[in-house]
Amino acid sequence: MMLRLLSVELLKIRKKLLWLLVVIGPLGVVSLQAVNFGLRYDYLSKLYADGLWSGLILNVSNLALSALFIGLAIVASMSAGIEHQTNAWKMTLALPVSKGQVFGAKFLLNVLLLFVSSSLLVPFTLALGWALGFDGPIPIAELLRTAYYPLLAAMPFVAVQCGLSVHLANQALPMTIGIVGMIAAMFGSWFPDWVPWKWPSLLNASHEPLLSVGLGLVLGAVVFLVGMTVFARKDVT
Amino acid sequence: MSNQAWILETRGLTKRLGGKNVVNEVNLAIGKGEIYGFLGPNGAGKTTTIRMLLGLAKPTKGSVHLFGRDIRKERIPILRKVGSLVEYPSYYGHLTAKENLEVVRRLLGVPRSRIDDVLSVVRLTKEADRAVKGYSLGMKQRLGIATALLGQPELLVLDEPTNGLDPAGIQEIRELIKSLPATQGVTILISSHLLSEVEQMATRVGIIDKGNLIYQDGIRMLRERAKSRIRFGVSEPEAAWRLLLSHGYEAAWDRHQLTVERADDRTVAAIVTQLVRQNHQVYRVEEETASLERIFLEMTGTEGSL
Ligand SMILES: Nc1ncnc2c1ncn2[C@@H]1O[C@H](COP(=O)(O)OP(=O)(O)O)[C@@H](O)[C@H]1O
Ligand SMILES: [Mg+2]
Repeated sequence: MMLRLLSVELLKIRKKLLWLLVVIGPLGVVSLQAVNFGLRYDYLSKLYADGLWSGLILNVSNLALSALFIGLAIVASMSAGIEHQTNAWKMTLALPVSKGQVFGAKFLLNVLLLFVSSSLLVPFTLALGWALGFDGPIPIAELLRTAYYPLLAAMPFVAVQCGLSVHLANQALPMTIGIVGMIAAMFGSWFPDWVPWKWPSLLNASHEPLLSVGLGLVLGAVVFLVGMTVFARKDVT
Repeated sequence: MSNQAWILETRGLTKRLGGKNVVNEVNLAIGKGEIYGFLGPNGAGKTTTIRMLLGLAKPTKGSVHLFGRDIRKERIPILRKVGSLVEYPSYYGHLTAKENLEVVRRLLGVPRSRIDDVLSVVRLTKEADRAVKGYSLGMKQRLGIATALLGQPELLVLDEPTNGLDPAGIQEIRELIKSLPATQGVTILISSHLLSEVEQMATRVGIIDKGNLIYQDGIRMLRERAKSRIRFGVSEPEAAWRLLLSHGYEAAWDRHQLTVERADDRTVAAIVTQLVRQNHQVYRVEEETASLERIFLEMTGTEGSL
């Protein structure tokens, strides 16, 4: 049933701007780095002399973090908006499907789209590096970590935005919260380790990115379950 | 006691919203194969009731049984046998009618061929590959009915399916619905704020007003309530009224006429004889039949506000 629900979610976003957004996010991040490296090539290539690729990946990851935060809010808002527009919730929920699974499918769709977006960072970054004429070994593990770890550590925010956008027909409040979240995440490294806004930066006292990822996944699961329970109990208007 | 004879039965169904019971102790009972007209003025509580029937909203009090099963306990197996259209139709505007139906078809797990079947029932086959946002309201309404029919339901719940349509659209939907029980073998609950809209197709009606179910019976019993009265146009209504009263006839009068409730032929003849004998001039004797609509309006006290 879950697969069927997810296939329906994908069918519903056909011909939607949502897909464009999924590509524009990582493309924008890498394009800005192209400008950055293009303008300051001499300075940056000296700065990262002992690892040009690593330098590029570091710069991409900083920008990608902000893009992830605003992106997860927009994806949640747009995917829920498809239902709010003509109040399609009442049509779907009068069908023989579990309310919890309907919410679950929406959350999965958001994760899937963000996963695609994050994945695109890899080829886009590689293309930029090659275009800049980098040679030497590509730190592929580092690149993959940069692409996927922040998303996993940001799961609580994916779940919060999905819950808010599904619960509220008016998307102004969820979007405001999403923007505030993005700004908070930009200063993530200043927070103590227990603050969730810091987790997607993968910084912590024990220098273990997987700790941030683990915390994000656990809290993400909790927030998701709360959102799902509220959704299943709520009257559909 | 769970009465197997009823396809749908509610007991003491109550919903409290904003501090008042917008649905209050409603006991609906709908039998197999019926077309049940669920009537009430705007804001009477029809949609709220229907939401509870479909498990979209939780009753504050009372129970809903469909096919003899409790909606709270067996929501999913029950909904497999129910098709519904609640309030204005829901659709994904950027998708075509076919794609919209495909969304629901996948969730129901019915064969692909059902899509063409229901499209032809509501006569949207030709328009099926157009984005629904360009549809007229009547076409959207028909798509909503097609969606409701997709799973070959045993019970069809249609909430004001003709609301907002022009007379031609209303007629079209009405013909479509009337043809359904025969062709699809379904029981239908259809709500409306106009009696005239369901009176020709309903076999039974329930009338809800301010949350209370004030009438539930066959449409024929309602017609019998459409009692007739006889109007006598006379020269001096007040004197004529005194005369009739002294002979034991109950009448009412105003400046132009006398009215007598439910008089049979002999009574009318006797009254005319009396009046003529006492030299009253009788200008006309007329029968006035109250329309069903008028009775509905009197019952719901919304005369003039509709
Ligand atoms: N969420 C709500 N809070 C408070 N009152 C509500 C709410 N929803 C509906 N109502 C009230 O309940 C009454 C019944 O509404 P509804 O069931 O939509 O009527 P109908 O479908 O018969 O026109 C109306 O008076 C409406 O104002
Ligand atoms: Mg209504």
